[in-house]
Amino acid sequence: MTRRKFIQKLIKTGSVFVTGTWFARVWATLCGWPEGRHTGLSLPRKFVRAFRVKKYPGYVRPLQDISKQSKWSG
Amino acid sequence: MTVQCELCPKMCLIEPGQSGECRVRINIDGVLRTVVYGFPCSVNPYDPVEKKPLFHFLPGTRILSVATVGCNLHCLNCQNWEISQKNPEESTAAFLPPEKLVQLAKRYRYLSIAYTYSDPIIFYEYTYDTAKLARKEGIRNVLVTAGYINPQPWKELLEYIDAANIDLKFISDDLYRRICSGTLKPVQNALVLAKASGILVEVTNLVIPTLNDKPEQIRELARWLKTNLGRETPLHFSGFYPQHKMRHLPPTSLKTLEMAREIAISEGLDYVYIGNVRSNEGENTYCPGCKGLLIERKGYTILQNRLKEGCCPDCSQEIYGVWK
Repeated sequence: MTRRKFIQKLIKTGSVFVTGTWFARVWATLCGWPEGRHTGLSLPRKFVRAFRVKKYPGYVRPLQDISKQSKWSG
Repeated sequence: MTVQCELCPKMCLIEPGQSGECRVRINIDGVLRTVVYGFPCSVNPYDPVEKKPLFHFLPGTRILSVATVGCNLHCLNCQNWEISQKNPEESTAAFLPPEKLVQLAKRYRYLSIAYTYSDPIIFYEYTYDTAKLARKEGIRNVLVTAGYINPQPWKELLEYIDAANIDLKFISDDLYRRICSGTLKPVQNALVLAKASGILVEVTNLVIPTLNDKPEQIRELARWLKTNLGRETPLHFSGFYPQHKMRHLPPTSLKTLEMAREIAISEGLDYVYIGNVRSNEGENTYCPGCKGLLIERKGYTILQNRLKEGCCPDCSQEIYGVWK
């Protein structure tokens, strides 16, 4: 590789890195990630919900049992 | 891959196969999952709304009450520890997804659903989806919670909530840490946000002998409430009973609760109640204007309700609440 080609490659890699970082920061800002807070541009990020599971890890009983008065408080 | 749950101030970092502190939010293959969605361990059709306690919300009505196992706090004095401190795999639940729960409420003509007993914060997604559906059907939604939640999910949930009873357990961060494994500030923030959102807010303070029953503690709590939530916010001083990991303390005496009520009234709060213990005046609602009796209660029973269109029949003062 010639010195000229090496420098071209170096510039190319550097500019990709700088552009990528800039895009990441803008994206983070729009999503309200912590980095975004310092720019003053942050938007409130929607809460990320947990997904449900199909199977309950405990025992599942029929609904009719619920007709009893519960002893719980509140 | 480790995941972080952003629901409550604990911000649990959860390893694969593990759960957060609440026991019900689990990392399954790098994805945060709630294992209690649609699986309540308790569905109670008989609760009066006064049991929540809510004294300024549709008095005398029954409220369909649901809970799942788990809690993000671990209060040593928890009254519902048998469900709040239980792992889902050791528990029994019914399959009742939001659609079925709302259908049930509709079929039996409930005016409202309460997400209660353990803490609706930890079954957030189930509460949120049910509340959204219930709102569409004209059914009101009530939270009974310790208010230990981050602001963003809280704001999103409040959009579908009509009323909440939120615990302000202590006015001391140290006691929150020692007794509940929580902190004070997030609860105060949740209270302020709830009130600012326009929903009906009532506050409960469990008075525990030797911990938070000193006059200066009661005064500080009442002052904070009046300054930050307004004098019209109902405050319930609830009597403690030896439970769970706090069986060495005696129950709260009626005298202590009456003292707490007197202090809070002298600090300028309009509606201060006594709960968990039978009391004469402490269960009634009085007009803050003319001091006349408005709602007379005995336990959870309404003996008389003199309110007219949400106002005092004697001096026409508007009374804070949801009355129809």
